[in-house]
Amino acid sequence: MNAGAADPSGATAPGVPDALPHEADGGWHRVHPLTPAVRSWQVVVVVLVVVAQDWGQAAARGERGPWPDGGPIPGFGVLPAVGGVGLAVLLVVVMAWLSWRVTRYRVTQDALELHHGVISRRQRRARLDRLQAVDVVQPLVARVVGLAKLSVEVAGGQDSKIELAYLTFDQAQQLRNHLLARAAGVRYDTVHAPEAPEHQMLQVPVDRLIGSLVLSGPTLLLTVTALGLAGATGWLRSPAPVAGTVPLLLGLGSLLWQRFARGFGFTAATSPDGLRLRHGLLEHRTQTVPPGRVQAVRMRQPLLWRRPDWWRVEVNVAGYGRGGDERRETESVLLPVGHREEAMAVVAFVLPDLTVAAPDDARTVVSAAMSGSGTGNGFVTCPRPARWLDPLAWRRNGFRVTEEALIIRRGWLHRQVDFVPHARTQSCGVRQGWLQRRLGVASFHLHSTPGPIVPVVPHLSTADAATLLAEQSERARRARAAAGPELWMEPYADGPAGPVADADQ
Amino acid sequence: MSTPGTLRGGEPFEPAGVVWSPVSGRLASVRRLVICVPPLLLALVPVVAGLLLSLAWLAALAVLPLLLAGWAWWLVGRQIRAWGYAERAEDLLVRHGVLLRSIVVVPYGRMQYVDVQAGPVDRLFGIARVQLHTASAGTDAWIPGLTAEEAARLRDRLASRGQARLAGL
Repeated sequence: MNAGAADPSGATAPGVPDALPHEADGGWHRVHPLTPAVRSWQVVVVVLVVVAQDWGQAAARGERGPWPDGGPIPGFGVLPAVGGVGLAVLLVVVMAWLSWRVTRYRVTQDALELHHGVISRRQRRARLDRLQAVDVVQPLVARVVGLAKLSVEVAGGQDSKIELAYLTFDQAQQLRNHLLARAAGVRYDTVHAPEAPEHQMLQVPVDRLIGSLVLSGPTLLLTVTALGLAGATGWLRSPAPVAGTVPLLLGLGSLLWQRFARGFGFTAATSPDGLRLRHGLLEHRTQTVPPGRVQAVRMRQPLLWRRPDWWRVEVNVAGYGRGGDERRETESVLLPVGHREEAMAVVAFVLPDLTVAAPDDARTVVSAAMSGSGTGNGFVTCPRPARWLDPLAWRRNGFRVTEEALIIRRGWLHRQVDFVPHARTQSCGVRQGWLQRRLGVASFHLHSTPGPIVPVVPHLSTADAATLLAEQSERARRARAAAGPELWMEPYADGPAGPVADADQ
Repeated sequence: MSTPGTLRGGEPFEPAGVVWSPVSGRLASVRRLVICVPPLLLALVPVVAGLLLSLAWLAALAVLPLLLAGWAWWLVGRQIRAWGYAERAEDLLVRHGVLLRSIVVVPYGRMQYVDVQAGPVDRLFGIARVQLHTASAGTDAWIPGLTAEEAARLRDRLASRGQARLAGL
């Protein structure tokens, strides 16, 4: 309550609300004045849609005629109803405006602060050296008017992001550059933070994206359902089965559409401040994942993708994907679909030092992890008794330790490979059910930050599991002690050349 | 005490050279109270009904809940004996479980915060539960049934050790 009144923003904000070169001046700023319009636009549309739907349904049932004799809300005439809806809309707009009035942010040398909230005031201050990732998000409406939302992720508890909505696109970009430069420990004298040079690594063509969706579980299910329906309607000579499966069909359709919209126009570019991902058909998103903030990486290949040899790459970044599958599917994908080489390149960039001891090189090991099986290339796999528990994959499931990471290989039909850097291991453990105990096997669990990747090596022999547990905790400790500084660009203070050097392997 | 590789080989749940601290026996009392009281009450029903209706065979039905209570009593004992924790130089080990056995190694430097909880029944018996949190939701390292003093000691010790070895994510 008191903070909004006490802070000096009331004096500064009207003077320089959105002058450009202000990222680091430490003063308080308002978000863009169009914000209330962009925000309440959505709410107003929702209200109108609900009213229209209600009225439409009533009209369709024929219980009440259109407005002249009944009005859209039962028991009310036209005027009060319209007035009520108008009042609700007005309330929403006023709230949005008030919310804009009290929202202000400032960037200081080492923190980003946001004050917002009309009814309960909230203040949030995030240390920049704890920054995990910065996204510039443009929902459709914001995109039309040239605005963008800056979403800053710092690892925290439940909801740990700071969203600055909305800024102009340029402002958002410059603020992003500044935050990343600060977080990386780069100092600069120019007005604007220098934009790190980019090098485009790959893009996903639309035909491949569509192909990947065609060769996916939902499409398969859709086809099977459609065939079943055709058969059933033909046999019963009645359209009843169609009606029963409409929700399923709609669900599958919207799932496929969302995947398409999310993956549309996907490009990945390397730059010294991290991996830049751009994607989205309606809502456009530019993500920057700094190096060393990647907690774990997973490559996945569903059965149907094996022929074209396509892979999907996902990532655990602290704070990404909190708040449901929808966000996880949007934020945690490093590559929606790509060829083997592309997948390897992406992994090599986010885990630059996947060092492997002398006789093997990293490529062969990763290749063996992707499609190999058995104990070649230094992999430790399940012992023979594990075949009772996992008859298909027991020869393939296994792990390989490199200098910097643990590689976990799993799945026979649905292949997947997990990489967890030792320095990012939170804790680890071994679990053993009673059947596993009978067979003398146990599963090894690595604990990574929340995300799509939950690394588990299933059904190792107890001796292997015990050794791995002992050595992995030791390796994690050593790697942690040797881990680089949080300000990752400081060692390269002379020029922004550093981590990008080994990007194109 | 914790030279690297002391866990190497053999049994993952019985690492060599680790001295396990057990949890308090009072936890067994709490759990037995919570688990065994409902079947015992249930056992009263046929007994009372048998007495009222003077049907002896009805009272014999009380054997079933009594057996259940006895089995739960025994099971709780086994579960409590399976719990153990060990403070090593760099990490804390926690193990538990009879049918599904589990051991977790939590490095002090990874600890984000430590929770100490005690419900009303726990407080009655003077015990508490200590839970360790890392940045991972998968870390299921919690120790139930520590005496209040031991819980406080462990909490402070873990906090100070975590402070000394704190690392970023």
